[in-house]
Amino acid sequence: MTRYRVTSSTPFAGYPPGAVFDADLDPELEQRAIERGSITITEQAEEGSDDAEADRAH
Amino acid sequence: MPKRIALTDHVEVDTTDLSDFARQVQVTMSHAQIDVSGFNPAGSNEYLAGATTESVQVDFYGSYGTGEVHQTLYPIFKGRTVVAFAWRPDGANPVGVNNPELRGNVQVFDYGPGAQRGAEDTFQVTFMAVDAAGLDFFTT
Repeated sequence: MTRYRVTSSTPFAGYPPGAVFDADLDPELEQRAIERGSITITEQAEEGSDDAEADRAH
Repeated sequence: MPKRIALTDHVEVDTTDLSDFARQVQVTMSHAQIDVSGFNPAGSNEYLAGATTESVQVDFYGSYGTGEVHQTLYPIFKGRTVVAFAWRPDGANPVGVNNPELRGNVQVFDYGPGAQRGAEDTFQVTFMAVDAAGLDFFTT
């Protein structure tokens, strides 16, 4: 799970400009969206997310 | 569903909401009409439905800002990339039986923005369905 911020003036994946959201985007979609400035990655594997909790359990 | 004035349509290309930059959507779905007529007393033609072609033509306002029309569509065209497309009549409400959403994987084969002095900057883009799933209307 990756945390993204919508950086363009257009909504992305249903999220308005400026919104922060967690998603597992297709890598190619993620790359295109970052290159055109629609989103930026803010954090990988957020604390409290399922992935982070799974990591702590191991 | 009552008659409507198209005002709140939702147009999404490659997960980017371009609704505010679109002013017209025209869906075209057609089956090739194959003539399989033989001789018959009435002289009537007989047809079978052949291959299906599906596309959506959208009128966009030319816009060159971050994540806007040009920055979304040109890389898709240039890279010959297949992306998701979606359109539904009422973007303010979720997809449903009375608000079906057209979805499919599409490709842009022609890209031609332009400009005319003193006029709004608009151009048409045709999104062709390019896989076996085609374009279809979903209610969920």
